[in-house]
Amino acid sequence: MTAQTRIIADQARGKFLVPRKAFTDQRVFEQEYDAIFNRCWLYLGHASELPEPGSFLTRNVARRPVLFTRDREGTFHALLNACPHRGALVCRERHGKSPAFMCMYHGWVFGADGHLMSLPGAGGYPKGFKTDPQKQMVPVPRLERFGDFFFINFAKDGEDLATYLADAGDYLKLVSEHSASGMQVVGGTQEYAIRGNWKLLAENSFDGYHAACNHSTYLEYLQNANGALGSTPLAGVARDLKNGHALVEYSAPWGRPVANWVPLWGEEGKREIAAIYAALVQRLGDERADRIAHKNRNMVIFPNLVINDIMAITIRTFFPTAPNYMEINAWALAPREESEWLRKYRLYNFTEFLGPGGFATPDDVEAIEKCQQGYAAGGEAQYNDISKGMLREGGASFDDEEQMRAFWVEWDRRLAAVEA
Amino acid sequence: MDQQLMRRLQVEDLLYREADLLDQWRLDEWLSLFTADAHYFVPPSDVDGDTADPDKSLFYVMDDHIRMRERVIRLSKIGAHSEHPHSKVRHLVTNVRVESDGALIRSRASFIVSRAKDITHDLFVGHYLHEIVECEGALKIAKKTCVLDMEALRPHARISIIL
Ligand code: FES
Ligand SMILES: [Fe+2]
Repeated sequence: MTAQTRIIADQARGKFLVPRKAFTDQRVFEQEYDAIFNRCWLYLGHASELPEPGSFLTRNVARRPVLFTRDREGTFHALLNACPHRGALVCRERHGKSPAFMCMYHGWVFGADGHLMSLPGAGGYPKGFKTDPQKQMVPVPRLERFGDFFFINFAKDGEDLATYLADAGDYLKLVSEHSASGMQVVGGTQEYAIRGNWKLLAENSFDGYHAACNHSTYLEYLQNANGALGSTPLAGVARDLKNGHALVEYSAPWGRPVANWVPLWGEEGKREIAAIYAALVQRLGDERADRIAHKNRNMVIFPNLVINDIMAITIRTFFPTAPNYMEINAWALAPREESEWLRKYRLYNFTEFLGPGGFATPDDVEAIEKCQQGYAAGGEAQYNDISKGMLREGGASFDDEEQMRAFWVEWDRRLAAVEA
Repeated sequence: MDQQLMRRLQVEDLLYREADLLDQWRLDEWLSLFTADAHYFVPPSDVDGDTADPDKSLFYVMDDHIRMRERVIRLSKIGAHSEHPHSKVRHLVTNVRVESDGALIRSRASFIVSRAKDITHDLFVGHYLHEIVECEGALKIAKKTCVLDMEALRPHARISIIL
């Protein structure tokens, strides 16, 4: 890699620069697939998306078609969704329930674990053909779960998922503990794209610095909406969770269905929220209950899983298909036992801020796309500054850039490793 | 004239007027076409948009009248960066079918909405489901659902305009 595509970090001087070539260079983009997407643990899906034996879904992960299934016994499988015969996509539906999958080209049929169950005209093949390992659907090299979150890894070797997640694991656990009965992905997926580099969205997802400017209209809207804001100020910290994962954790004035009441929700809502909070305290103790109820978290699990536990919970992934283009999927996560009333507020909250039709995300998108356009300036304008809060005494604040530096250091380390 | 035909012409008139106001960014007037308890919805592509419930599934847009008004206010500000300056918008509405259900009028219509701004030009394709009521002699929209007949919102990054 040329010097122009490496980050420049100087802790003593509080200097942290990211070369703009990292967002535009075709070679860097290809190296990212080698060094990152083909080696890191990548989020595949949530257990609640395959609710019963026989459930399946298809999803592109790091440009590859993946079939995620639960067999008759309830075991989860992740298969490369390509027919061992001539390579056609075996499953062409987005989700459903089926004990077997028939390839539409020549009619080979596979079980939920990918084994070849039958093929038409079997007499044309030698004995033992059907059980030849090469004639079975290929499993993704590694599939592991952390609680109800499933991850895959396209590399056969490497650290296990729990080790990879490092300190981010406890935060994944925290978001699962909102519910005594388990969390579920609410139906409905926001599927969109941004004409910008994927790393800009990683940065943006936990950028505590941009809200006042970029989201001024959202903040004004909250002030207008009578009672949507409590009196808690925005304040908090940034944390490096190791291995490139990081988060910001902060208090905020908006309501949280678990379990931060705002006046808009009325007296009845107050009682319901108080009951939820009391149950959290009983189940998890004061400290953890307080964090779940009153603290917001924007987390990026390297390289591209965002879990934002804010006015609602979003799970978001994004994969680049070119240096200047990414495809994004976002889901809402919620406690299974949530009342209809709170679920409604949760979704109302979610769509108010988040997603392509929200009052905030379109302006994030605009910022990301305008950065990408700005990089065309090239020439002398070569570096982005990510140094905010580097020399702050007492540690970085939620509106510093410590969390982004954690991301970039890991990015740089992984790219340097394939370069070496 | 045949009463049903008359009805359809009235509804078409309303939908065309709505489209025209949106194209001209006359959003306050657009809002005045709605009842005070109106809703505006855009479901995502992986649910059945004709029947999905915004209280149970994640949507792109689930606005009640308060939020519709706030959406209009927001879009008038320079801080609504995505729509500043305003994009060029064109709503094509066609194939309007009308059914009366007691006092409620339901219409289905096809749409293509074009949004052009800067380096992007995106088309939103789908169908409208309008619920319309008669208020003091005028037709008002009580509910508008924009069902996207698209597999995903790609390459579109946003629904920052009103569909
Ligand atoms: S390609 Fe699948 S059966 Fe031939
Ligand atoms: Fe933002």
